[in-house]
Amino acid sequence: MGLCFTREELEERTAKDLKRLCVDELGLVGMSKKPKDEVVSAILNNFAMAPKGEGDAPATIAPLKGPSTSNAKEITGIEFAARSIMTKPSARKGDKTTTTIHVSCGASSGNFPVAGKTVKEVGDFLREVLNVDELSTGIVNGNAVDADYKLKEGDNLEYLKPAGKKG
Amino acid sequence: MPRLGIVIIGLGGVGSILSERLCRFLNFSKDLTADILLVDGDEYETKNFERQEFTRMGNKADIKATELTMKFSNIRFDIFEAFISKDNINEVIMEGDIVFLCVDNHKSRMIVSNYCKELKNITLISGGNEYTDGNVQIYLRKGGKDLTPDLCAYHPEIQNPDDKLPDEMSCQELSESEPQLYFTNLGVATFMCWSFYNVVVREEYERSEVYFDILNMTADAKIRTVV
Repeated sequence: MGLCFTREELEERTAKDLKRLCVDELGLVGMSKKPKDEVVSAILNNFAMAPKGEGDAPATIAPLKGPSTSNAKEITGIEFAARSIMTKPSARKGDKTTTTIHVSCGASSGNFPVAGKTVKEVGDFLREVLNVDELSTGIVNGNAVDADYKLKEGDNLEYLKPAGKKG
Repeated sequence: MPRLGIVIIGLGGVGSILSERLCRFLNFSKDLTADILLVDGDEYETKNFERQEFTRMGNKADIKATELTMKFSNIRFDIFEAFISKDNINEVIMEGDIVFLCVDNHKSRMIVSNYCKELKNITLISGGNEYTDGNVQIYLRKGGKDLTPDLCAYHPEIQNPDDKLPDEMSCQELSESEPQLYFTNLGVATFMCWSFYNVVVREEYERSEVYFDILNMTADAKIRTVV
């Protein structure tokens, strides 16, 4: 099963529908108070981060169809393959089977579908959502790990936040 | 009844609040009592009114000890009217003490943490904050073995502090303190009291650090392994 959208398709949806998509289908949290354009970008980023399997076809731009009225190249469609974040294809229809990993930074935390991604990729992706510093060290299950550590199901990831200085 | 040796280092926005709440708990506890050493070289001034709980001007340790003695007769108080430093720390912290570290700089945290690593038995509860968020760390050491990470283990900013001790600062630097929010100091003091309750009363220390954020209305406790 694969989910794929163009920006135009997403922008046609209501903000409420997009937020429901984030929570129910993609496991993206922290979107409830974001403006619609940020939600759309977050969804597209989520697909951009999906790990590429061997059988995945590269994204391609469909040829221009119909007569062109100007010299500008109009893109009428984008054809690409995206891999699903569903990790248990044998699960019954309707079962929630997305594998999420608990990610935290300071007092902020959430569960995100980031299994298979590196600590650096997740840090870049969640920088604004969890306020992750670029230089922050990743701690997986209580132990410091390298930025290229690949997250596995059951991992608990924390980005270290500096201690408060004043008192 | 066990008599705890407690040291409260720093009686500013966090320490002045914490000392009152901790003493109320201990004074009326059926199971615990304490000798408390209050440590601060700073003076209470008009600029402290909005965040700190004192009834008159003067050295903070001296004033707070007088105030607490009048309220809590089951606790014995002593004072140390100086900022903590490498030179005087051995006069302040003893084997088996419970130390509440409520200072406003990482260099003091580094000195106290490193000193505690040399002791066999110590409970160190350290708090700090920015304007609307903060954290509390618990460093527990029993029989010469770390049960939780020291303050520097997961915090390079404490291991290699870029700030100064109060004694090293000029008068101008001391007067240019950044603004703080009373409620954030209150949050740190509260989580330090929670830490004390868990570690000393319940003997539970799995979660050795907690962060809170007032703007997001969240708090998250961390399980950390000893490095």
